[in-house]
Amino acid sequence: MSAIAANPAPRRSPFWRAVISGTGIVALIYVLLYALYAFWQPDALSVYTFTDLVNNSTPLALAAAGETLVVISRGFDLSVAGVVSLTNVLMAVYPLDGPGGALVSLLMCCAIGAVVGMINGILVARLGLQTIAATLGTMIVCQGLALVILDAPGGMVADFVTYTLTDTLFGVVPIAGLFLVAAIVLWLAFRRTNTGIGLYAIGADEQSARFSGVAVSGVRITAFVGAGILYGVAGFMLSAQTATGNPTAGTPFLMLTFAAVALGGTPLSGGRGSLVGSILGAGTLMLLQKVLFSGGVSSFYTGIFQGFVLVLAIVFGNTVARLLRKDDAR
Amino acid sequence: MPSEASSDRRGRQKLDRETVNTLVVFGLSIVLIVCSRFISPALGSWSQVLTVLILASFLIILSFGQGLVILIGGLDLSIPALITLGGVLTTTWVGTSDAGVWYMLPAILAICALVGAVSGIGIVWLKVPPFIMTMATSIVVASVALGYTSGTPRGGSPSALLWLMKAWFLGVPVVIYFTLAFILFGWLLQNFTALGRRLRALGTNRNAALIAGVGVNRLELVPYAVSAACAGFVGMMLVGYSNGATLRMGDSYMLPSIAAVVIGGSSILGGSGTFIGTVGGAILLTTLGTMISAIGLSEGWRTIIEGGIIVGALLVLRGEFLTHIGNRMLTRGK
Amino acid sequence: MSTDETRLAVRIAKIAKSYGPTVALDSVSIDLRPGEVHALLGENGAGKSTLVKILSGVVKPDSGSMSILGSPYTPHGIVDARTQGVATAFQELSLLPNLSIAENLMLPKMPRGMLGLASHRSAMAAAGRILSDYGLAHFDPDTPVGVLSLSDCQRLEIVRAFTHAAKLLILDEPTAALADVEWLFELVRRQKTLQTAILYISHRLGEVRTLCSRATILRNGRSIGTVELSGASDENIFEMMVGRSARETINALPKTGEAAPVALGVKGLSGGILSDVSFDVRQGEIVGIAALEGQGQRDLFRTLIGLAKARGGSVEIDGVRAQISSPGAALHFGNGLAYLPEDRKSEGILAGLTTASNMVLPIISRVGRSGIVWPAGERRAARETAAVVDLQERYLHFKIDELSGGNQQKALLARVIMTGARTLLLFDPTRGVDVGTKQSIYEAIRKFAADGGSVLFYSSELPELVHLAHRCIVLYGGRIFAEYQGDAIDEQTIVGALIGHARGAKTGVAA
Repeated sequence: MSAIAANPAPRRSPFWRAVISGTGIVALIYVLLYALYAFWQPDALSVYTFTDLVNNSTPLALAAAGETLVVISRGFDLSVAGVVSLTNVLMAVYPLDGPGGALVSLLMCCAIGAVVGMINGILVARLGLQTIAATLGTMIVCQGLALVILDAPGGMVADFVTYTLTDTLFGVVPIAGLFLVAAIVLWLAFRRTNTGIGLYAIGADEQSARFSGVAVSGVRITAFVGAGILYGVAGFMLSAQTATGNPTAGTPFLMLTFAAVALGGTPLSGGRGSLVGSILGAGTLMLLQKVLFSGGVSSFYTGIFQGFVLVLAIVFGNTVARLLRKDDAR
Repeated sequence: MPSEASSDRRGRQKLDRETVNTLVVFGLSIVLIVCSRFISPALGSWSQVLTVLILASFLIILSFGQGLVILIGGLDLSIPALITLGGVLTTTWVGTSDAGVWYMLPAILAICALVGAVSGIGIVWLKVPPFIMTMATSIVVASVALGYTSGTPRGGSPSALLWLMKAWFLGVPVVIYFTLAFILFGWLLQNFTALGRRLRALGTNRNAALIAGVGVNRLELVPYAVSAACAGFVGMMLVGYSNGATLRMGDSYMLPSIAAVVIGGSSILGGSGTFIGTVGGAILLTTLGTMISAIGLSEGWRTIIEGGIIVGALLVLRGEFLTHIGNRMLTRGK
Repeated sequence: MSTDETRLAVRIAKIAKSYGPTVALDSVSIDLRPGEVHALLGENGAGKSTLVKILSGVVKPDSGSMSILGSPYTPHGIVDARTQGVATAFQELSLLPNLSIAENLMLPKMPRGMLGLASHRSAMAAAGRILSDYGLAHFDPDTPVGVLSLSDCQRLEIVRAFTHAAKLLILDEPTAALADVEWLFELVRRQKTLQTAILYISHRLGEVRTLCSRATILRNGRSIGTVELSGASDENIFEMMVGRSARETINALPKTGEAAPVALGVKGLSGGILSDVSFDVRQGEIVGIAALEGQGQRDLFRTLIGLAKARGGSVEIDGVRAQISSPGAALHFGNGLAYLPEDRKSEGILAGLTTASNMVLPIISRVGRSGIVWPAGERRAARETAAVVDLQERYLHFKIDELSGGNQQKALLARVIMTGARTLLLFDPTRGVDVGTKQSIYEAIRKFAADGGSVLFYSSELPELVHLAHRCIVLYGGRIFAEYQGDAIDEQTIVGALIGHARGAKTGVAA
């Protein structure tokens, strides 16, 4: 009960609340950035460029979406790096071609993510480990498994996956984008379930949530499992992008997902935020990288850029959260 | 409040959890070394033990810094990058020429410490979570090292570092004497100085430490700076050990540095742990690593075992954590 | 008392609960009749909150039994307790600030609409019905709880408990932040007619007498007895609560000269809800702050010690204008200022460190020998002050969390004395400690003042202010409402001033 104002703040209309929420702000940033990109590179408005951008952003966007579930419940999930690496090497070492094969691969990726998420959830909710510590452990184990399956970059992802998932539907809709739309639809439904509302409740104040009757460990485990599944799909989509396997493919995700979550207006302190914001945050990060490095900055210095963006995203997220605190917008 | 007789009955135990944990970890190391003879006759010999100790010395020094960070409830993920920074700066700025080695090496350590302090500033004043801030520092530093060396570090080791890592004295490598001195220093610093006591107070309860008059903000920078300097120094040791630097020389040290601290009995929540326990954890991990290589298991299995050990150690230490939570609920009830 | 169990709404028999080595409840037995408002009285730390948690299903008792209308009651959790007709309005409020009023009222199960998803519209409608049913029709169920005032949050917490309580309603300090107590009294009377048993926990005897017929008194985790309130005087009840009559402990106060130099001078201080507060504390003087919950006492202490920023005004310590940025800096202004915090567990002790380490922490750099701090050296340094607060020397090498709350409090008091600061700020220095410890703490404070030190303390217990303070300042709504000196400090007078009224005004109105 930390943020109780002495007097009720003036109410704002739902529309205005959505605009000034973290999601609204990051959407605005994305549009402005895209306009800038189009200004410099006129072909930015072509279907090809847009599809390319969506394809590039989808794995990170899905991973950030998963991370958001855990962050809203007040936790950190480092296993994202492990799950993405593990599913990526599996896709490359055991390719299954054709639509049926793709579906089986997708289900396998989801299942791996779900198992890892379940383990995380049990370690945290039932055995009382800190989220960072528990997920650090599972991340390491998953990375080890990825190395056992494939000890150096190599392998080939099934052609059907590689070609179909990077293609467009009717020549305009990027197929990868459909995965994002599916994730958003599922999310919007989920946040209207008891568990979805419970997720925000335990993120704000676990004790109060328990006293209000929320099944705290059940909700927490659900968040980790949901996150794991999304990481699995992220690994699946990454494989479609890269067409090959790399046992350390997930490592860059660790940092970028947190940057995307923070940029999307989900404070790392939990209880607030939206998966949609994180997806837009991921898109913004990839777009930003594209805009800046189309200028030809040496790729040696990509890391400097990423490090600063990460810190700035968190500081930005903290600031937005502080500004919005009085005018609650989930 | 219940009567004093009932609530103060627990008294001081002869062996507290930390001591037991330390003994167990050292015991396990010795058992492992003895058992390793069954795997390969070459293992478990005196020279093999010395090799393990030399390899462990890197981890011992790293996990002192990581241990201080964990003591205050943080986590340092920038260790590999700072090892690389220390190593690369040593070979390029000093190198085999030994030019100004006596002031250049301390200057390089100071640079590393400064980088660590920058992480600390981000954590304290920008309120970035420690693992994210150190991750950001790490990637920036790695990127700078990459750009600075254009991908291939040049140069060799100054002779002083070669001497430290390769010379022997009275039948024992010099570096082992050095590590023993470092252990003594680290143990005293963490457990028996005003600084160590304040850090422990900060890690136990930041708010209570602040109210007790501890200058928590500036104090919180210290472990990050120390950890970075330790990593930089290990970078120098590695330069001496393999007579050169690579951009990935630190990569394999991040997880062991955390694992050694956790196995050594420190709580990941901060506020508890001794450096002696951490040393035991480092020796145990190194012994295990040597055995795994001897059996011929791949890097992947080694990683899996390390991850499993971290989770296992966390679960074993959880008992203490649960009593802690129990006490906390009790106070809420009062 | 009836022996026929079926005529009882709730029977609580010999409930006990320990947390590790600490006994929270020793043996508690209470019988509640249907439609009865039954008061639970006891000092801080008597075990009231633990009992509330057990009844609510949050905590399981170690032994003992509970029954409702004759059938056994063993809740598996808070939801299970609710389905059995038991609900609680918690003292620490269990609302989620990031959820709307409607969502908070509906938790953990939302009304469903299309596709089985939570329906915003039916949640609003259901919440609207509840709110108007309990006289809160002016609340918009869509408002996030985070923007409500503390008083409105408390009303919501109460309403939520009422909606689930068919058989037993537990109200834990329901008026602590309530602006309009008549609203609650009306609801309680209405619920009585529905034959719901109500367990009413409050430290305001006036309220208890208005609402309740009987009271059970808890002391040190035991139920001492149940009394008919009409037949018990305040003195009787107080004696049962503390174990002896408090009146006999009044000591003669040492006289302090008006001419003594000012140690702590506060002029026009504002910050938080504090506005324009001015007073002096002279050397050798003990000044008490009296206030109901949330009248600015917290802001006053936190601003003085540098944990919160002042909005205006000035503070002088021993004549030196002070800009205090942290408690560490406060130790070094003038002759020093040291602070004993409000919450022993979260702000005071450092669990896992020894008692001696806890005591010497602020002066740790002076304890070491050539930079090294040996445990024996810490104990040596702590020994003398431990004696002043009557803390046994054998406790010094215990970990402080293994000590009883009273001994922890003694150690913390010793810590502020050991800093060498000549002005002490003590926030509720005897919260949740037993009577014997209280006397030791009073002795230590008096001795400190007699040696020329200055003390500013806040207490939630009026007798303490009467016994200890040379001067008493009453805070109300963030301002100094009244000030009493010497013999003018008596409970009756202060009670009136506390609620911002003259003597004999309506009880329990907190802003």
